[in-house]
Amino acid sequence: MSRPERDDRPPTAAVLGGLVAGSVASLAAALADPLGGAVVGLAAAAVLAGSLRRAHRLLSWGVGVGVVGLAVAGYRGGAVEPLLAAGVALALAWDLADHGITLGRQVGRGARTRRNVAVHAGTNLLAGGLSVAVVYGTYLAAAGNQPIAALALLLFGAVALASALR
Amino acid sequence: MTDTSSDGSPTEASSDAPSTEASSDGPPTERTHRRRAETERWRGVAGVALALVGAGVVTRQPALVVVGAVGVGYAVYARIGSAPAATLDLERRVSDDDPEPGDEVVVTVRARNVGDAAIPDLRLVDGVPPGLAVVDGPARIATALRPGATAAFDYTVRASRGAHEWESALAVTRDAAGTEERTTALATPTRIVCTPTLSAGGDLPLRGLTTVSHGRVPTDIGGSGVEFHATREYRRGDPVKRIDWNRWARTGDLATLELREERAATVVLLIDARESAYAATDPDADTAVEASVEAAGQAFSALVDAGDRVGIAALGPRDCWLSPGSGRAHAARARDTLATDPALAPTPGDGSFYRSLWLRRFRRRLPGDAQVLFFTPLVDDVAASLARRIDAHGHLVTVLSPDVTTGGTLGRRLAAFERRERLRDLRGSGLRAIEWGDRSFPVAVARATGRWSR
Repeated sequence: MSRPERDDRPPTAAVLGGLVAGSVASLAAALADPLGGAVVGLAAAAVLAGSLRRAHRLLSWGVGVGVVGLAVAGYRGGAVEPLLAAGVALALAWDLADHGITLGRQVGRGARTRRNVAVHAGTNLLAGGLSVAVVYGTYLAAAGNQPIAALALLLFGAVALASALR
Repeated sequence: MTDTSSDGSPTEASSDAPSTEASSDGPPTERTHRRRAETERWRGVAGVALALVGAGVVTRQPALVVVGAVGVGYAVYARIGSAPAATLDLERRVSDDDPEPGDEVVVTVRARNVGDAAIPDLRLVDGVPPGLAVVDGPARIATALRPGATAAFDYTVRASRGAHEWESALAVTRDAAGTEERTTALATPTRIVCTPTLSAGGDLPLRGLTTVSHGRVPTDIGGSGVEFHATREYRRGDPVKRIDWNRWARTGDLATLELREERAATVVLLIDARESAYAATDPDADTAVEASVEAAGQAFSALVDAGDRVGIAALGPRDCWLSPGSGRAHAARARDTLATDPALAPTPGDGSFYRSLWLRRFRRRLPGDAQVLFFTPLVDDVAASLARRIDAHGHLVTVLSPDVTTGGTLGRRLAAFERRERLRDLRGSGLRAIEWGDRSFPVAVARATGRWSR
């Protein structure tokens, strides 16, 4: 006996969450630098399209374009704070869209998924927030008179630590 | 629909106290680890982050370095933690474990996290039996569970004939970042048995192969009965009632009326349950096996009520044999066999079918005076040739064929054409054949009876 076709689109909450996060990312990037903001907006659109079309590859391209947008904004001298916000929002948008695709594939849109999506978004924001707190704190403490190279070296220390954790 | 709590919005209980006694009375959940894999969804994030940092150093832009550093934070996030074990206790309740066919059964599943660790990302897919159709709500949920918390969801299935055993539910867990995925099978036994009542069919005409017991199949043997057969010379001892008094008045000779003797038959209802017989007019419709089983049930009660001895056999990879018999206990056994025998399950079983082995075993079991009512959709030549072979062995065969080849596509039209040819061949070789499609089985039988001479 056959089963009725299951709706395997991503859950609405994940798509909407991705859309909101993508918009926040482009807004914040536009505050830092209009051109970079435009590129990040393009990335947000790509992420939304990937989410709707259930294409992981489109999501990867979208987030890649988004990073380029952030780089452009940073290169053109955008302020640190809006760029940080844009980065965190971009990561959240991609993460929600990608998570939503696998959720859609495994349980479908008809099932209850809101709690799962909320917890996933929450932990992602928490991780982003912690990361920003540490990095921005270091930046505030070190910026002004320290050369950028010192900051970068500090960062490589962090990477080595992360690899050792594994 | 007996469960009133199926409003489609079950609560997600997160308190651990009330559910402890509920899960302790059920059988324990058997957890089997299936698979563990990296999802690699965060792959490349560290590289991108370091590239940003590098670009920041080269262009002397602190903002780029800071953003890249945050990216490194995500790389760390992706690397810590691993997919938690699905330490779940699964409890499944059905609103009715003995439904009638077509009833809607509400299934409530409660999964409780009995482990010490939280499961940040849990996707649970219940193992609905293949023979049941989910009519309301997917049998799936995605959620997150703290230690001791319970997730509950329910869905509705439409009961169909047979014994349905739930398969293992699949739990997919991921760590918070979704880097690693672990699949676990959760087995908790649940079973519903759906036994249709045998509805009485119309009068089923049988062919002239009978036993020595009295019954209702008219034979070519003269004796006592109701229908005129012949007259013969009077012998001493003939009952006075059967003396042909008209002839005595006319000619003065004594003659005795011979009436057609009516005897009981032994019938075996043979149901085609090979994989090819699980054909249906459209994906949601009942299969030919379902139609055959329903018709066999009607034929069974009609024949048993008329005093014939009736048995049941399945033509398929799995063995199914109920020796011909009569009586109330036999009827109950037959009802059980038709409803729940694995050989007649609503979905095809595993195993391969060997025609000659099957035929040898079937002939060994078949009583010598048994005739066969063969229920088959006739979608391939095997069924037709088997019918001819059984008939050739002296067991008169009547083929009863549900038509599942209706529809407009080219393939269906070809299948319908081939089936018609098979039916014509069978009728040509002296077998009786009834087919029924949209109209019901008793109507088809009634029509055919008018056509047949005995």
